Amino acid sequence: MGGSYALLVEGLKVWYGRRQVLRGISFKLPPSSILAVMGPSGSGKSTLLRAINRLLDYVPDARVEGRVEVFGLDVYRENPYRVRRLVGMVFQTPNPFPHMSIYDNVAVGPRLHGLAKSRDELDRIVEWALKAAMLWDEVKDRLHEPPTKLSGGQQQRLSLARALALKPSILLLDEPTANIDPTNARRLEESIRRVAVEDGVTVVMVTHTPQQALRISDYVAFIYEGKLVEFGRTREVALNPSHKLTAMYFRGEL
Amino acid sequence: MAEVRALLDILFKGCVLLIAFLALVPVLHLTLAAIVNGGPVIASAGLKFFTEVPPPPGNRTYGILTSLIGTIELALLSTLVGVPISFMAAVLVVEFPHSRLGRIVRLLSRTLLELPTILIGMFVFTIIVVPLGSPSILAASIALALVMLPYVTTYIETALSSVPRTYREAGLALGMTKARVAFTIVVPIAVRGVVTGILVGLAKAMGETAPLLFTLGRARTSLNVDPLGPGDAIPLLIYDYAQAPYENLREVAWGATLVLITLFLLVYVLARLTIRGVRV
Repeated sequence: MGGSYALLVEGLKVWYGRRQVLRGISFKLPPSSILAVMGPSGSGKSTLLRAINRLLDYVPDARVEGRVEVFGLDVYRENPYRVRRLVGMVFQTPNPFPHMSIYDNVAVGPRLHGLAKSRDELDRIVEWALKAAMLWDEVKDRLHEPPTKLSGGQQQRLSLARALALKPSILLLDEPTANIDPTNARRLEESIRRVAVEDGVTVVMVTHTPQQALRISDYVAFIYEGKLVEFGRTREVALNPSHKLTAMYFRGEL
Repeated sequence: MAEVRALLDILFKGCVLLIAFLALVPVLHLTLAAIVNGGPVIASAGLKFFTEVPPPPGNRTYGILTSLIGTIELALLSTLVGVPISFMAAVLVVEFPHSRLGRIVRLLSRTLLELPTILIGMFVFTIIVVPLGSPSILAASIALALVMLPYVTTYIETALSSVPRTYREAGLALGMTKARVAFTIVVPIAVRGVVTGILVGLAKAMGETAPLLFTLGRARTSLNVDPLGPGDAIPLLIYDYAQAPYENLREVAWGATLVLITLFLLVYVLARLTIRGVRV
């Protein structure tokens, strides 16, 4: 069921204690496409991402109902560590590990999952990931320095490289450009676009700006108060939103 | 109006400064008293103050060798016993706060913090000194470890909780287990805070008297370093000699006070230095 989809979400409901945050979300996303998840603050966008890679397991009073499949893999029946091996994530704040070097930040995932058989192979993965995040040229001569010396935007691209080093099938991004400058934001968008096109990574990206959604996404999902009010191809939704809330959002009125 | 406000501001600042100074008075007074009374004692004894055992009453020689070695040995042993437990307890409480074990450990740690240290001494007396038949450095170290446990745990807890949540999420999202995140991400990021906690524990262990009263014995006139035998400690020596009816013993107590304050200060400065370099 749903094997031809990269991501299948069906009847997803999430509660934090008694408060219901997601109220039955369903959609299907084809492989190597980019989905922009939009909606006002507190509408449940971040919760949706954390339901996909099961980070909600660690929220003590969170309860999840419904079905999530990643390339046919039933996320809530599968070993969560295997799920997270396939589903990478980049967060709102740049968060490279401050006690590790730039190199080790990228290598930590491959080392954890035993992806490289030799030092050379690990070097190649690290180089590939840093290139994919468009950071290689800036850091190739200081791979063993701490990441704290990098700018915020560079740190965010390092966080992206760290996630990419596991060669994830799906990449989750939680407003990745919210805290960085426009130039770095553009570069980040470009690398996201490229890993989707060239490496076939499927991307789910929470964004606050309709412009960003228009620039890079193939699909948009609009969430309002825990419900999916709109889902479709970006261009179609932008030109002809079927829901008045989406239209208002695209006009910047929400 | 503006003048009144400026005046009130100055008045307020003055009050704050005055109160802050008042809070410091005991510390300053104690340090000064130790220097004035203990300084000449150490100066007249010279190095012998550290290499000779305490004198017989009425004699004019000074020395605290046995207490000094004892305090150092006790500090090291109790740290060796207490720190690993505190460390694991803190990790448990911060990283697994909702687990049953995490809750129990937190409750125990808080309770231990409130327990009078003399009771800890009595507890160790009944469960270790009595079965072993005599007081020992080991028994005293365990008592001190119990005293420092909640302090060190609290310090390490604070250090670990100050690590932003986002680093934990990043580790988990890579497929790490919670334990792996705790030990390879959170602890290394908080390492300076953890070290500070250990140093605070060390200082605590060096200064405590009450837990030693029933547990250490007083091997004062001959040096013993065997953990199973009795030992001595500077605070215990001060406690005994400060109320002795012989002037030379009281002088030894003053000298020992200065040594203890110096040791304390050293550890404290070390702790401060590690705090200053805290990352993130």
